Amino acid sequence: MAELGRAALLVTLGLSVYALVAGGLAAWRGKRRLAHSARNALLAAFFSTLVAALVLVAGFVRDDFSLAYVAGHSSEALPLQYKVSAFWGGQEGSLLLWLLVLTGYAALAVWFARKRARDLVVWVTPVFGGIALGFTWLLVAVSSPFETIAAPADGNGLNPSLQNPYMVAHPVFLYLGYVGLAVPFAFAMGALLSGRTDERWIVATRRWTLVAWTALGIGQLLGAHWAYEEVGWGGYYAWDPVENAALIPWLAATAFLHSVMIQEKRGMLRVWNVTLVSLAFCLSLFGTFLTRSGVVSSIHSFTQSAIGPWFLGFIVVAVVFATAMIWLRLPQLRTTAKLESLVSREAAFLYNNLLLVALCLTILWGTAWPMVSEAVRGESVVVGRPYYDFFLRIFGLPLLLLMGIGPLVAWRRASLAGLARAIAWPAGIALATGALLVALGAGSSIPGLIAYTFSAFVLSAIVVEFVRGTAARRALTGESIPTAFGRLVGRNRRRYGGYVVHAAVVLLAIGVAGSSAYDSVAEGRLARGESLAVGGYTLTYRELTERDGPNATEIRAVLDVRRGGDDLGTIAAGKNAYSVEQQVSNEVGIRSDLLTGEDLFVIAEQVRDDGAVVFRVFVKPLVNLIWLAGIVFVLGSLIALWPDAREERRLATRYARADERSETPATT
Amino acid sequence: MIALSVAGVLAIFLLYTSIAGGGTPSVSPSELATRTGEVSLAGRVVGAPTGDAHGAGLRFVLEDIEGAHKKRVTVLYKGSVPDLFRTGRDVVVTGTRRPSGLFVTTPGSMITKCPSKYQAAENPS
Repeated sequence: MAELGRAALLVTLGLSVYALVAGGLAAWRGKRRLAHSARNALLAAFFSTLVAALVLVAGFVRDDFSLAYVAGHSSEALPLQYKVSAFWGGQEGSLLLWLLVLTGYAALAVWFARKRARDLVVWVTPVFGGIALGFTWLLVAVSSPFETIAAPADGNGLNPSLQNPYMVAHPVFLYLGYVGLAVPFAFAMGALLSGRTDERWIVATRRWTLVAWTALGIGQLLGAHWAYEEVGWGGYYAWDPVENAALIPWLAATAFLHSVMIQEKRGMLRVWNVTLVSLAFCLSLFGTFLTRSGVVSSIHSFTQSAIGPWFLGFIVVAVVFATAMIWLRLPQLRTTAKLESLVSREAAFLYNNLLLVALCLTILWGTAWPMVSEAVRGESVVVGRPYYDFFLRIFGLPLLLLMGIGPLVAWRRASLAGLARAIAWPAGIALATGALLVALGAGSSIPGLIAYTFSAFVLSAIVVEFVRGTAARRALTGESIPTAFGRLVGRNRRRYGGYVVHAAVVLLAIGVAGSSAYDSVAEGRLARGESLAVGGYTLTYRELTERDGPNATEIRAVLDVRRGGDDLGTIAAGKNAYSVEQQVSNEVGIRSDLLTGEDLFVIAEQVRDDGAVVFRVFVKPLVNLIWLAGIVFVLGSLIALWPDAREERRLATRYARADERSETPATT
Repeated sequence: MIALSVAGVLAIFLLYTSIAGGGTPSVSPSELATRTGEVSLAGRVVGAPTGDAHGAGLRFVLEDIEGAHKKRVTVLYKGSVPDLFRTGRDVVVTGTRRPSGLFVTTPGSMITKCPSKYQAAENPS
């Protein structure tokens, strides 16, 4: 079996080299048949990678411990779903997943664009080939998942904290996001290589970018939820380098999603867009590098390994290539369209971009600071939570405000008076909300108060947009409210899907502000029958239970929960002792109040021999809005992603014309 | 416009670093001797930990992870102990070195920097 896996990876290596070399030659010399065969090589590379991946999955499912990777990450007693997810429990498997996702994206993107952007695909193929080559080389030569050993009786097992449904899904979504950014990057580079610097590469990859961005967002939320439930320190995001590694490219991609709209609409910001997409892709490579190389110490980091230098080299190649291409095509990328006014939709997008990139780069700077300071001052300095919180407030809060204002500003040139009229309602509602919150005592946290006031502003601005749109449609067509609303959204999926995503970001902001600025915490050692009070709850420690689970001994402390005079039942927190892995993991107790979005969060820090337990209890208001935001986020993305027949037809005619132009012999 | 914004970002950045200083130096046990301020100390746990993190404090010894001349320092720690804390593991704690040589930590500052978190500690070959 291992031979088959290795052989499949060698085939992928050959196919990637072919896609790169033959594809490059074909594009350069204009050889159509060769280009065709290079493209097919790229498609085939997906299937050979799939074979390798299936071999590894089979190895896990069949407990084939002669594969070193399987022996290192699985055991016979492991439940089936975790045997499968152990695939990406380590470095080699994660790299293989990267390659599988990459070749999958490449094959699909190239296949779907083969008609509409034929001359672009010719140049995109070698770019994909090059990226695939980098990863295949790592898998073949440096870090192979198919190393064999004399099979031990049982494997080492999977780390207990990875034995969680979220850890089955989280890495997959994260990789769908990271790697998906390769699609717009490859098309952008293809466009630069081909010399066609119009917005076609953006149109051809719009949905791919959105898919990648959505997946990266979901991946992070799943990771946050995993951290919240499983790591059990009472938070969901710790500004850990590895968490930042996913957030940084997501922020760059968010900026990109916004700025491409200006290029599509006004033909502006071409240089900026290719720069942003290169930044986003290189940052996603950097993120993978951070998690794989062990260069930054992190609670998540993998073993320091041989792939570090290779990976760094790979990133350098990508950065140099992208920079050189942008530099080379700078004359063609320059546009004549100018920003007409600082009060306009374009300008709002621009501010949004600057804030997002500023946030992205300051987080990157903080994450890389231990390395930078090591190199410059000879001592590694770590920046902590205050650094990130500071910049999140400085850049994040204006960004939140802008999210409300931006959609209300007219394109090209807006008058200040018109803008004032447009924001009058939302601003009034926001101020009233702010005043109400101060009266309720939310003034204990100024950033929290500002976040809530801005959130009220954005939410009401979004509602106003929906109401105005529906009313205008009704006035025009005389449709009923639900019909008008449905058609409004259906005919402008991008716009209204975007607003729904904005609403999700607001929910996220409310949840984050609520759970971090207004939470309460208590800690205490309780003997049986003793109580602890926190945030309006009273917890009484009842008993200690112990039972044998499938692969762990589960110890739970059971507490009665009361709030005011109400009996809210019991909550259990404890520890699991995993026998094969010889590890203990904290199992927290969480009681969610679905009406208020508040969580009661109990950690059993220490179980003493005499039966007393040290508890740490958090009350986190509104934290559930963060997870609700995830659902709304997906909904909004789906609306924006949903295929639109009218848009397709419009694009088809537009590019049919463009193709005719490009296929007539060039006379210029 | 863009240049202005970049300048603005830089200004904010300088403002921050001047107000808050910048972060905590990360050192190994052998680099600790000359330190007085707050540092984050990364090392490998050697010997058996004693005491109670939720009582008078947990005492353990950290040793340099790398290098030929490994030095050791005794750490006093209170607060949450991560699941992965154990003899032989790599941990990071934040705190200050007392004149006595004892490293007293900020409560709850321990994170485990565990090589076997995702990867088998040694290849079973």
